[in-house]
Amino acid sequence: MNATPIQSDSEPALHGIAKWRFVIVMLVIALIALGVTVRLTWLHTVEQPFLYSEGQKRTVRVKSEPARRGVITDRFGQPLAVSTSVVDIGIHPNQIDPSVLPDLASALGRNANDLIRTVAEARLKKKSFIYLARQVQPDVADRVAALEVEGIQLNENFRRYYPAGEVTADLVGLVDIDHNGQEGIELAYDSYLEGQEGKRTVVQDRKENVVKLVGVSSVAKPGKDIALTIDLRLQYLTYRELKAAVEQHSAFSGSAVLLDAHTGEVLAMASQPSYNPNNRALLKAENMRNRAVADVIEPGSTMKPFTVAAALESGRYKPESMVDTDPGFMKVKHKTIRDHRNYGQLDVTGVITKSSNVGVTLLSADLGADTMWQFFTKAGLGQPSGLGFPGETVGQLPYPDQLDPLRLATVSYGYGLATSPLQLAQAYTSFTQNGCRMSVSIVMDSYSPEDCQPVMKPQVAKQMLNILETVTSSKGTGRRARVDGYRVGGKTGTAHRIGRYGYEEAKYTAVFAGVAPISNPEVVLVVVIDDPKGREYYGGEVAAPVFSRIVSQALRLRQVPPDDMPDVGQQVAGGVTWMD
Amino acid sequence: MNALVWFAVLVSALVQVGVSHWNRDLVGEWLALEAQQRELNQEQTRLLLEHSTLTAYGRIDQNARKQLDMIEPANIRVLTQ
Repeated sequence: MNATPIQSDSEPALHGIAKWRFVIVMLVIALIALGVTVRLTWLHTVEQPFLYSEGQKRTVRVKSEPARRGVITDRFGQPLAVSTSVVDIGIHPNQIDPSVLPDLASALGRNANDLIRTVAEARLKKKSFIYLARQVQPDVADRVAALEVEGIQLNENFRRYYPAGEVTADLVGLVDIDHNGQEGIELAYDSYLEGQEGKRTVVQDRKENVVKLVGVSSVAKPGKDIALTIDLRLQYLTYRELKAAVEQHSAFSGSAVLLDAHTGEVLAMASQPSYNPNNRALLKAENMRNRAVADVIEPGSTMKPFTVAAALESGRYKPESMVDTDPGFMKVKHKTIRDHRNYGQLDVTGVITKSSNVGVTLLSADLGADTMWQFFTKAGLGQPSGLGFPGETVGQLPYPDQLDPLRLATVSYGYGLATSPLQLAQAYTSFTQNGCRMSVSIVMDSYSPEDCQPVMKPQVAKQMLNILETVTSSKGTGRRARVDGYRVGGKTGTAHRIGRYGYEEAKYTAVFAGVAPISNPEVVLVVVIDDPKGREYYGGEVAAPVFSRIVSQALRLRQVPPDDMPDVGQQVAGGVTWMD
Repeated sequence: MNALVWFAVLVSALVQVGVSHWNRDLVGEWLALEAQQRELNQEQTRLLLEHSTLTAYGRIDQNARKQLDMIEPANIRVLTQ
């Protein structure tokens, strides 16, 4: 049972085993080394492009930088649309530490429990990113950034703000949440206003922190600014007076266009109802029409001055020429055209002063359809105004061969044709600019004096101004358009509204188109009040007072010297100047 | 000849290091300036809006009437000639 020493015997055998084992182990190690080398070479050569691109995909990001949209201002640089910096705040729910949520909630001004619930839900749904708040003010974002919490992402962005609000809403328009123009000037000049996004390449870590800026492929280019020809002061008062009138008469809608009589620049353009572009929640599509350019109206009697101007232009009539409107009505085909009452013998001036339908019918019948059509076309009716406003209408003017005696008669007093308030105002610039119709413009520096279409002789335009002034005299239909201290002229118009079954009996559009001051016109104003409800509905009752209020303030603001100040010298001499 | 090439390689390596450092500095400076520009832009917009709110025609009109008891000259009254 004792152990015999066999160690010395077994030794050589042990060596023998070690040798082949050694070789095998070495071989295996060599094979492993070879395998690793081959694999390495494989990865570094054959698979390298694929792996490299995959690596880049996980770390390199192209970040876009929002570009600031251009500012829209009025003619004196008052801002009408401004982009302000805001921040979109988002979090990565799976990276954020739940214990910081109450702090985060208080920085955002939100209920802590709400926020915790939101984040928990997002985690359950395995969302990698959620927005907590969009378009917040930079100071809120600063408070959030000061928490220095992981998993929060702050994205710079812009928000469009309209300082003048509803006053310029229909004109300036608005943008959607991605800063694309949707309406008005914002849409018309979208590509000019919008900037170019910048692009930069960065390396990010897993938590989306920027580690390294690799390159900048383009720097963000801010959009260009636009100055409109609008004078914000005039826009304010035009809007205020229009709104007051629309409310007073419970009208369906209203619009007003104020033009610079010398240049055709739009000084103010308002429409009612309007909307607040700073609160998108309350937007209603029907309030977003710029009625001054998009609505067509039948201009009614405001067209009569053009019929009379055509008559004067023909050389066959003078302002003193007599027209026999007796007995105050006449039959054209099957329709009877009536005046308010029998005016008897009227001179051409009186036809406008009294707004005689029979008078202009006689004149237009004498001139013929071709002459009338050519004259109205030169005045810009049925022609684009050249403003380039979205949704702008060109109106409608029947062709000469459509003008049978009855239609010719109706066109002569402004029925059976359609214009926008803007076109009507534009047509009236031909009276103020020595017979030359100005091209309207809304962007500064686009006016050029050659941009005008001759409509009538300068002498006829002068006569027309004097004729228009008689409308606001005590004998005329537009007495309430008068302005203290200034000679003003214009024409009232009352058109039946068009309903489903043709002209409606008791619904009207009240219009006043006029110029002031007569001695050297500065402004052209058209006021349209659509469907005033109440006892007053005539253009002379509804629209003319609005004209008077707007023009008196506009002339004062533009510092136009009064041209109608009788016996100033006597007043001063008499010393009667202080008293009320 | 060899030594010259070695020297050139060394110099180029050092310049490379220096330039990338300089590049990082400039990028840092650029980003700082950009942040400053953004801040100034924010400030400018804020002031612009504040200015336009304070000078709004409607507000001036209201203040003139209510606080300063001003009226529109209803009839032409010549005070001096």
